[in-house]
Amino acid sequence: MKDHNNAGWVFVLPTVLILGFVGLIPLITVINYSFFDIFILESRFWVGLEWYGGIISSGRFWASFGRSTLFSVLVLTIQIPLGIAIALCIPRRKFWVGIALAVVALPLLVPWNMIPSLWLSLLNPDTGILGRAMTYIGWSSDWKLSISLTWLVIIAMDVWHWTSLVVILCYSALTTIPASYYQAAAIDGASPLQVFRHIQLPKLYHVLLMAILLRFMDSFMIYTEAFPINAGGPHGATMFLAVDLGEDIKAFNYGPSAARSVLYFLIVLSVAWMFTKAQGKLDGGQSS
Amino acid sequence: MNKYLPALKMIGLLSFVLFIFLPLIQMTLLSFVVTLAKPDANVGSFTWGNYSTIMIDPNLRSAFVNSIAYVLINICITVPVAIPAAYAFSRMSFLGDKHLFLAFIAFRITPPVVLTLPIFQLFSAVGIVNSVFGIALAHCLFNLPIAIWILQGFISAIPKEMDEAAFLDGYSRPRFIWKFLLPQIAPGIAVTAFFCFMFSWVEVVFARILTTTNGKPISMAINALFGFQTDIGLVMAVTVASMVPGALLLFAMRNHLSRGFKIGQV
Repeated sequence: MKDHNNAGWVFVLPTVLILGFVGLIPLITVINYSFFDIFILESRFWVGLEWYGGIISSGRFWASFGRSTLFSVLVLTIQIPLGIAIALCIPRRKFWVGIALAVVALPLLVPWNMIPSLWLSLLNPDTGILGRAMTYIGWSSDWKLSISLTWLVIIAMDVWHWTSLVVILCYSALTTIPASYYQAAAIDGASPLQVFRHIQLPKLYHVLLMAILLRFMDSFMIYTEAFPINAGGPHGATMFLAVDLGEDIKAFNYGPSAARSVLYFLIVLSVAWMFTKAQGKLDGGQSS
Repeated sequence: MNKYLPALKMIGLLSFVLFIFLPLIQMTLLSFVVTLAKPDANVGSFTWGNYSTIMIDPNLRSAFVNSIAYVLINICITVPVAIPAAYAFSRMSFLGDKHLFLAFIAFRITPPVVLTLPIFQLFSAVGIVNSVFGIALAHCLFNLPIAIWILQGFISAIPKEMDEAAFLDGYSRPRFIWKFLLPQIAPGIAVTAFFCFMFSWVEVVFARILTTTNGKPISMAINALFGFQTDIGLVMAVTVASMVPGALLLFAMRNHLSRGFKIGQV
């Protein structure tokens, strides 16, 4: 179907150069640092895999890893079905489609460092809408002391921030379904559930794969938004992987932070690899 | 069941929209309130003062200029670079194309915090820290792969016969892209530019490390407002103002938005 033509490289060369500069060179630098003990950049000592060993064998790393995994799983199980559902709810009339999508996309425009502030002020018992409502109904426990409530706030925040992206992705896939499919389904007397299962869902597979990839990685490595909510507390119960790395970098621990970065990049790489495998399977299965 | 479905859908959508609006309403309300005691106003009273402060404060004004500048530079780099790449991924198969796509995806999902330290060092060595150009370049890391992905969907939607007809008429590939493809995918370019704007405008991690003294964007100007006594009303007013350009673009683009992400296959 496609021409086999190695001249394609000429077309992707500018992209390769830019990503090489802002991506690959820093990555190689990080890999290089991760094998050294660096006090100042001019004097360094080869320590081999010592930093890696230290991180892998620390309980703190695995605890953060577990928390990040749990967070990603929770976020995905809420955002993906919710995103599909909202995409299906968007009205058919063209006028309202644009308005609905524009409104739904608004959270994506908030600067990331302001998202925790928005939610904190929303929950503020003195000035916040939700905070005052909860005080009014007599439910005024301090959520910052509770692990489960802090998690609930962070997850609600992430759902608020990012479900819109899933909605836009799913809706764009739904628009590619020809009207004749729906007409055929109506003639056969298919129920809405059957229409969803056999017509709409199959069209969503590709886009859902992309949505899952983006949402999984971005939530797994959540950094800017999660920490200010409760400073990683209570008792470190909301310390995620990227927060640990951020602490290392702020303390100028070049070696350990580099080793941590490399480990995280390996996670990224294996996720990207699984994604392309899954995509290949979808293409093979449908051969469209 | 079928009879009630439209109503159920309406309720579903409206409750989601309410959920979306709740923090935004909170933000807008606070931005009109005096939240820090001043000689001429009581805490809690209504004011336009937070918005007029944005106009007066030179730091905030320059932050808006910086943000717009780096986002525009980023779009000017991303779009022209992504178009040929998207064309290649859409139309040609070449040695290592699948691996290259994997690498691009990997860079998109690499968390910025992983690369902050070396990117800061690299950019200081080249001399582009504390400038809007540095942020614009760093943001290519996640915007380029997304731009390629969006544009590829638009290019793949154009029948391949068009290419072949143009080649028979003696057009080269670059001339074909310039004369025929670009006008065809104009909405795609607009959508791509919008998503580049959106992801770049709100990014914080690169923006923070690359602007320690100069060239601070809006997000960092907001950060600077937090202190011992934070004027949360002003913070909210700046946030509202920072969303205005995006909201206007969003509204202008609303009918093309959903066309941005067609199914991408390599």
